[in-house]
Amino acid sequence: MAIVVKLDDLLHAKRMTLTDLSERIGITLANLSILKTGKAKAMRFSTLEAICTELGCQPGDLLVHEDDG
Amino acid sequence: MPAQHSTLLGVTRGLLWLMLGLVAAATVLVLVVGIALIAAWPDVMVELKNSKVFVDPGIIQSQLLWMMAVLAAILAVAVYVLRQLQALVASAATGDPFVAANARRLRRIGWGLVAAQLLAIPLHMIASSVAAAHSEFAGMGGLSLNNILAILLAFVLAAVFEQGAAMRDELEGTV
Repeated sequence: MAIVVKLDDLLHAKRMTLTDLSERIGITLANLSILKTGKAKAMRFSTLEAICTELGCQPGDLLVHEDDG
Repeated sequence: MPAQHSTLLGVTRGLLWLMLGLVAAATVLVLVVGIALIAAWPDVMVELKNSKVFVDPGIIQSQLLWMMAVLAAILAVAVYVLRQLQALVASAATGDPFVAANARRLRRIGWGLVAAQLLAIPLHMIASSVAAAHSEFAGMGGLSLNNILAILLAFVLAAVFEQGAAMRDELEGTV
C-alpha cells in the first residue's frame, strides 16, 4: 500500500509501547495493531488527533506516502 | 439488542415454524388427494359430481393429478423460502444481519417467489378449465399483485443488504 503508517517509529522514539498508547488514548489494542500493521482500510480524524496529541507529532509524521514501485 | 427486537424475532421464529407445519400438513393433504385420485377414482368421481363444482367430473382425472403435482411443487418452493427466512432471522438474532450471506438468502427468496408465481399460472389455467366459472375452486392460483410486490420487495431488500454488507465491511476496517 502506498500510505505507510509510521506508528512503530514514533512509539520507538517516545519509548512507548502500543499497550501504553492504547491505554492513554482509549483505543483498543486490537485496533491499534490493525493500524500499525497497515491492515486498516480507513482512519478516523478523531483517532489521528488522539495519536498526534499523545505522541506530540504531526499527521505527516504518522502517515507517509511511499511509491509502490 | 433491544428487548422488543428479540421479542419480535422470537415471534417471527415461532410463526415460521408454524408456517412450516402448515406446509407439511398441506403436503400430506395433496399426497392423500393424489393417491385417492389414482386408487379410488370411481368413488372420487361420484363425490365430485355431487359437489356440482366441476364441469365434467368424468374426464378431469388427469387434470386434477396435474394440479396436485403443481401444488406439491409450490409447497416445495414454500419450504425452501421459509428455510431461507429462518436462516435470515437466525442471523438477525446474532445482532449482525448485514452480511453478504443474507443478501444471497434474500435473492434466493426472491427467485423462490418468482418460481411460486410462475407455478400459480398453470395451476389457475387447470383449475379454471375443470371447475364451474364462479366457483372458489376456479379462482385458485393465477397472477397476484401481492406476489409481484413481494418479489420486488425481496430483490430490493437483497440489494439493500448487499450495500449494508459493503458498508459494514468498510466500517470494520476503520480505526
